[in-house]
Amino acid sequence: MNERTGGSVNKVLSGIAVAGALGVAAAYPAVGASRFWTNWVLWFVFLAAIGLGCMFVVALEHTVESVWSVPLRRIPERLSGIAVWFLLPMGLVALLSIPVIFPWTWSSASGIPMIVKKEAWLNTPFFVIRVLVCLALWVFSYRMLVTGSFKQDETRDPMFTVKARWFSRIFLIIFALTLTTVGFDWISSLEPTWYSDMFGVYIFAGTFLAGLAATTLGAVYLLRRGRLKGITEDHLYNLGGYMFAFTVFWGYIGFAQYMLQWYGNMPEEVFWFKQRFTGGWLAVSIVLGVGHFFLPFLALISRSAKRNLTRLRWVALCILFFEFLDLYWMIFPTLGKGVVLGWPELAFAVFFISLVVLWSRKAMTKGADMPVGDPFLKEGMEFHL
Amino acid sequence: MPDAVSGVIALFSTAEELVDAIPEVRARGFESLEAFTPYPVHGLDKALKLKRSWLPALVMIMGGLGAVLGFLFEWWTSAVNYPLHIGGKPLNSWQAFVPVMFEVTVLFATFTAGLGMLFIFNKLPFFGNPILDSDAIKGITRDKFALMIQPVGGALDVDAASAALVSAGGSNVEVVMAKAHPPARGSWWVKTFLGILVACVVAGYGTSLAIKIYPTIKPMVEMEDQAKLDAQKADGFFKDGHGMQLPPEGTVPRGYMPILAKTPEEAGKTLFNPLPITAKVLARGRTLYDNHCAVCHGFLGRGKPLLDKFYQASPANLQSKTFRDVPDGYIYDVISKGKGAMPSYEADISSKDRWAIIHYVRALQRSQHAREEDLQ
Repeated sequence: MNERTGGSVNKVLSGIAVAGALGVAAAYPAVGASRFWTNWVLWFVFLAAIGLGCMFVVALEHTVESVWSVPLRRIPERLSGIAVWFLLPMGLVALLSIPVIFPWTWSSASGIPMIVKKEAWLNTPFFVIRVLVCLALWVFSYRMLVTGSFKQDETRDPMFTVKARWFSRIFLIIFALTLTTVGFDWISSLEPTWYSDMFGVYIFAGTFLAGLAATTLGAVYLLRRGRLKGITEDHLYNLGGYMFAFTVFWGYIGFAQYMLQWYGNMPEEVFWFKQRFTGGWLAVSIVLGVGHFFLPFLALISRSAKRNLTRLRWVALCILFFEFLDLYWMIFPTLGKGVVLGWPELAFAVFFISLVVLWSRKAMTKGADMPVGDPFLKEGMEFHL
Repeated sequence: MPDAVSGVIALFSTAEELVDAIPEVRARGFESLEAFTPYPVHGLDKALKLKRSWLPALVMIMGGLGAVLGFLFEWWTSAVNYPLHIGGKPLNSWQAFVPVMFEVTVLFATFTAGLGMLFIFNKLPFFGNPILDSDAIKGITRDKFALMIQPVGGALDVDAASAALVSAGGSNVEVVMAKAHPPARGSWWVKTFLGILVACVVAGYGTSLAIKIYPTIKPMVEMEDQAKLDAQKADGFFKDGHGMQLPPEGTVPRGYMPILAKTPEEAGKTLFNPLPITAKVLARGRTLYDNHCAVCHGFLGRGKPLLDKFYQASPANLQSKTFRDVPDGYIYDVISKGKGAMPSYEADISSKDRWAIIHYVRALQRSQHAREEDLQ
């Protein structure tokens, strides 16, 4: 792809993004604050899944001191910039949604015993503090884990690798706590009487999958432009294997959460699934189970599939789409009017997808395509299964 | 059967030399090649043009079969052969079957992978490879890499093969002979195996027999052997040979009042409710009724079971005229001894509590058949 077509693609994307922004702006007066903010929160948690998922992929490599993934590390490093460039502003704006869509802030919720019991956690000041702490921790982690890696391209200082490995262990704790908080605060507390012990793990499974899928997409994007010289089928095989494994993990956690609540049949738990298994939501639930588990599972099960660029690309796109559908399935039934899908949702999708793609194309030029300063790069290039 | 040529083998000192030699040998017209290395060598399978094993496909098929069989088995056991009602859920609840389906899938897949590898692809019970009798094996298991040219359709030009291997850089060229195997029947290992089997059976039965003849020899004292009297069992301790004894004539166990009446009707004439009708007694009666009786007789005593859909018997309608008119003693007798499909509740509900339930049943009956003065 030459410079001119690249530039024109960017121009088209910018145009689409502007059109999407107009649609998003029009949605607020047209369909009301509650649907607008629900959409906003959905995109916030979806981008959190991709951005934090990518940062987790980076941290995981440092923590387990894996070498095969070093040549690919620049991709999740670049994409974890979403945490700074998207999550920070979006999270701050999303604070405006608190009194609109979160039932525990409404006067009608006062006195409901199950909400009263959670008041120590679910109150506006503490919620705002948690959001701010999470955002601050993500930006801090990005600086510790990623910024130094770009600097290492120039300095070739091996000490960064030592520091990153040290910090990545702390990041895993930050990641676990903040991601669970995101799940509890932005998704689960939309229905504050519900609870599930597995919810944090469920969110993690989807987040890691989204991070892996984004990494795979970035790798395919660069490989097709001939920019990742030395990446072999074996590297791709590992990425595909990771996606395959965590597809199964997601299916396991998702089904376990459903089956235990179905079996127990406790009214305070099971209403959550009942709501999603009636009317139009039943179709969404079935599509979600088939598309988030069976489709990638069968598409990636063979050895050759995990080495095939075309296959990996569409499976990664699939995983991202169904991860979005998963979050939509968790968040949107709280609007309580059956399946809500219309032009405002489309406008949000057009706006954020074009913006993220535009940003990612730019991000893919940041630094060298591989962490050239990493002392383990050569060893990682020589990786064989 | 005479000894046959298994192949011509040559040693190479590095893995690269071995991989490079393969196309050279192949160019001389030898297609059936086999390589032996001390560790896995990258690119070797490609150079040998080995086909991908079809074991993964077999594992996939058997795993799928396991899932289907697991589901069918669960469905048959819990919905067809022995319908089990659990928590009011449908008999054919796929959600509950999934864990079993998953386990059976894994079981079938792993067994297929493990046994398929051993028996189909590694050709068990074939225990030896002719290469084990060659000189080359000493190098292969240490630091040498070997290439073997195998006969195609039983025919191999040994001299041409040797020349091809030497020109490709091989050394220590050797012809590997497959020793003709004597028939399995009557061979030493079959005899040994059968001997061990017979010895095991003899020893096992002998030990079991010895313990029966000499009961004092107890290799293991199990918990069921205890020096105490067992209910419903014979025992030499008492003269009559019973482990369980009736109470002596004319006595009653402490805290237990037997019902002397032979029929509910007789009990209705001789037994009377000793409890006063107080709010406390009625509350106690209500708790016990709701816990023990309501599941079949219904919360209002109408004889409509809560598990209506599944339950085949028809419990008594306590609101019917018959049961409104029977005396308290009759109901007490039925609760204590059971009637028809209803079991005895003597062991579960104390005598006093049974009387409390009866007061509550009377209150229930009055609630549905109020007298005129109740309304004033």
